[in-house]
Amino acid sequence: MQAQTAVNTFVHETGGWVASQLEACTRCGMCAEACHFYQGTGNPELAPVWKVELLKRAYEQRFTIIGKLKLATGIDHHVTDDNLLHWSKIVYEACTLCNKCSMVCPMGIQLGPLIHEVRTGLSAAGMVPADLMSAVHKQEAEGSPLGVTDSVYDDRLEFFEDEYEIKLPVDKKGADTLVVFSSIEIMKYPGNIAAIAKILNAAGENWTLSHAGREVVNFAFFEGDNEETVLFLKRIFDAAKDLGVKRIVVTECGHAYDAIRWTAANLMDVPEGVEITHIAHLLGELVRTGRIKLKEGMYDNGGTITFHDACKIQRRGGHIQEPRDVLHVLAPKSFKEMIPNRAEAICCGGGGGVIAIKEADPYRYAAFELKVDQLKKVGASTVVMGCSNCRLQFDDCVQHFNLDVKVAGLSQMVADALIE
Amino acid sequence: MKAGTIYDELARGGISRREFMKICGLLAGALGLTSVPPVDVNAAYDALRKPDGLVNLVAEALQTKPRLPVIWLEFQDCAGCTEALTRSHDPTLVNLVLNTIDIEYHETLFAAAGAQAEAAKEAAIKKYAGQYVLVVEGSISPGSGQIYCTIGGRGSGDLLQEAAANAFAVVATGNCATFGGLPRANPDPTGAVGVMDLVTDKPVINVPGCPAIPEVFTGTLFHLLVFGAPPELDSLKRPMPFYANTIHDRCLRRPYYEAGLFADSFDDDGARKGYCLYKLGCKGPTTYNSCATIKWMEGLSFPIQAGHPCLGCSEPNFWDGGGFYQGQSAPLLRPAAALAAGAGAVGLVLGAGMATANQAQKKRAHPTEQHKE
Amino acid sequence: MNWLAILDFARGPFFEVALLVFIGGLAYRLMRILLLGWHFDRIKPAGSKLGGALISYLRGILIWPFIPWVRNTFSKNPVIYIAGGLFHLGLFAVIFLDAAHILAWQSLLGFGWPSLVTPIVDWLAAIAIVAMILLFINRLVNPVLKLISGPAEWLNLLFVFIPMLSGYIMAHHLFFAYEVNFSIHMLAVDILLIWIPLSRISHFMFYFFARAIHGADFGKRAVIP
Ligand code: SF4
Ligand code: SF4
Ligand code: SF4
Repeated sequence: MQAQTAVNTFVHETGGWVASQLEACTRCGMCAEACHFYQGTGNPELAPVWKVELLKRAYEQRFTIIGKLKLATGIDHHVTDDNLLHWSKIVYEACTLCNKCSMVCPMGIQLGPLIHEVRTGLSAAGMVPADLMSAVHKQEAEGSPLGVTDSVYDDRLEFFEDEYEIKLPVDKKGADTLVVFSSIEIMKYPGNIAAIAKILNAAGENWTLSHAGREVVNFAFFEGDNEETVLFLKRIFDAAKDLGVKRIVVTECGHAYDAIRWTAANLMDVPEGVEITHIAHLLGELVRTGRIKLKEGMYDNGGTITFHDACKIQRRGGHIQEPRDVLHVLAPKSFKEMIPNRAEAICCGGGGGVIAIKEADPYRYAAFELKVDQLKKVGASTVVMGCSNCRLQFDDCVQHFNLDVKVAGLSQMVADALIE
Repeated sequence: MKAGTIYDELARGGISRREFMKICGLLAGALGLTSVPPVDVNAAYDALRKPDGLVNLVAEALQTKPRLPVIWLEFQDCAGCTEALTRSHDPTLVNLVLNTIDIEYHETLFAAAGAQAEAAKEAAIKKYAGQYVLVVEGSISPGSGQIYCTIGGRGSGDLLQEAAANAFAVVATGNCATFGGLPRANPDPTGAVGVMDLVTDKPVINVPGCPAIPEVFTGTLFHLLVFGAPPELDSLKRPMPFYANTIHDRCLRRPYYEAGLFADSFDDDGARKGYCLYKLGCKGPTTYNSCATIKWMEGLSFPIQAGHPCLGCSEPNFWDGGGFYQGQSAPLLRPAAALAAGAGAVGLVLGAGMATANQAQKKRAHPTEQHKE
Repeated sequence: MNWLAILDFARGPFFEVALLVFIGGLAYRLMRILLLGWHFDRIKPAGSKLGGALISYLRGILIWPFIPWVRNTFSKNPVIYIAGGLFHLGLFAVIFLDAAHILAWQSLLGFGWPSLVTPIVDWLAAIAIVAMILLFINRLVNPVLKLISGPAEWLNLLFVFIPMLSGYIMAHHLFFAYEVNFSIHMLAVDILLIWIPLSRISHFMFYFFARAIHGADFGKRAVIP
């Protein structure tokens, strides 16, 4: 029964976009070489092509004559609930939707987005890991998966203002820029909030926060539930409309950026004339135009600094060059690239909701081994990134693997280097 | 020494023993044999294993056997094979062999005509029953009530069967008599067939070519004379001594083929340099014959040497087996543009139909629709 | 058995039918996808979709984006990458640049083009054959490929391998008479033509979809160019 729902969802979601890519796959298996989960564990079931197998089977069985023949002759079988269980495990626990695999696939198949489609089917069938599901419910009920309710939000902001001696404008009508933090930052990396506030104030930006649109993280997008995704996005867009802002700046959260910048308009009506951008882009712009001044070479004497590309901000977000421009100012001598990097970078292994699922921990650690390797090869003593979800993963794994590496957020480094 | 042998005749003509042995040596070459053919004919073969064995074998045959009686029938032909034979001049191997046979009936060469000629043929069939070799030139039209190709009011099928019944062996010469040749080419109005399609109870030897190489034809006849049995034949009943290799195998342009150097037209640089003619349609790679070794005009040259691709004239279906000047790798049939477009259109329509059905399926699978059900 | 008759059949009616199946089958596959419905992309692009798609094609063809030793991706299994690339290189050289095949194209299309010299084509063909054997072994032992390979995948390999091998044997006049090798080659080609629309060998058609989608997405997000 659940299988039926999943297959129906696949059928409904499958247009030329999905079908042509499924048809293009040659079953060469190259994508496996790209996936950090397969490389970390050696488990063939974690190969990207296998993760979309469920969608492929549904497509073949329902849309093609060959698929129907395969069913009739027993070469293939109907999708079962057990199948859903298997795929639920591999697509939620062992895929960060990082889309690295598409860089390697000789056909260029967009495996990440296709796996997102698989998640959509599984979510319709209710086959979502419990941890992820409860986070979605919590976000639905409380406005945030980490329990940042209105009052918690106020408490936290008040605390930050005291602690860091900054002004945090909330619900300011007529502001140009609406900044939406993720609850990870609010609960775990308050330094980020202070840093971004400091930078924006230094640049003389007319900005505001919002109660209604206080959470940029979108756990329904992790889950693949389009309806809920829209619901959560709407909260932010409504806030933007209410406040009449010209742009929305997403802070250090990658998946949220993918949802609001690159997906929202295809799922719902988005307010017109509101630009959506990422803090990484804004930082680059502020430095380039000279609206903020930084102490050049400030971090040059603390050992090698390297930059971790967050899949959803760099490879999927396009803000590859800006952080590098900033780092070339901050640490022109000690900044060194890991290999591979930029669009081909290796994912941290914690995104796509993986870090929120307890059962996924072994996969998560295994995947991070590739990162450990990279860090060691480049000899990094500090690793910088622009995504707080990556940062959670790095913090946890640095401890787990006992690495002597400092994990830093880009905004914080910029804020610390500001020349007032 | 028996009376009436070939040797007797030669001796009467003033040929000395010495000259006779010289002729035998020359004739041995006509067999196309440089070694013992792996034919299980008779013990005479032991003689071959000795030095001069072949010459002695020929000498022995000429001293013990009378001239070989031959009846020559022509059906749907152009007399090209006959022409090729008779145009060889003295003193050639061909003529030497021709001196060892007696042509009892031949429409083109015969002085007699009409009922007189037919009577002579009937007489020969009776007189040499079981001894004569029947040579057939031209294809036969056994169908359509035998209205095509009649001689003296009789159809070619009947004439062939009648003459073959008493023959000791049948030699089909030229591509027409062997595989149907030009008459059999599309649209084949006469339903032409070769000898082996009709004669099944006698040894049939095919000597295809267009025309057959005279040396190959006479060599085959001479083999029958010397050994009293056909040479070893390939699957198409062609004598192995002459048809074991392809033209391509023995072609003087082969090194160019291997090097990938081809003439692209008949008057380009490649053609002048003598490059391989594959691209100009050469059928040498699939054609079994002796052109490249025996050659034509007493070994002077052959088509490929003269700059023309092999047409494949010793193979079945050579008229319809691809254009003479079209490379052999090209397909024989290709769908006409309209047919290809038609197939494409059928595909497009069926595909569109499937897509529409799938679209409907997608709608039915819509989550809200499902709730309604 | 008369091989020449088999050859005439394989070069004649069978080839014609196979080609029609090939054309019709691919048209069917194409249409089924084209008309399945495409969403209009309402996302405001940050870069050029067209530019991205073009770069994506170039990368796909020039292969440089993931040269293993640079990108550090194929360090664990370089065979799969190198053999795959060499196989396609050899295959294309043989199909499109071999003198004999150009004659076939010429008769089908009405025009031809210069060929690559035979010894080079020959080497590329040999390399492609060796590469195919490596790919075959890789499919036998690689855990991922073992998992995702069904009967169709093995048949794909077989139906491509036979024309390649028979063509090579024929070009070198090995083992059997020329017309026998030629017949086997043509029969195998005909079977392949029929098999292509039924199988994933048709990826050469959907390649253009997937590459365009990939490039447009990356171009839209200003990742490339
Ligand atoms: S999107 Fe990333 S995590 Fe998911 S299968 Fe591809 S490479 Fe692996
Ligand atoms: S790399 Fe691409 S073509 Fe190869 S198996 Fe993976 S998805 Fe399919
Ligand atoms: S000319 Fe003909 S027979 Fe001679 S090598 Fe070329 S293809 Fe072969």
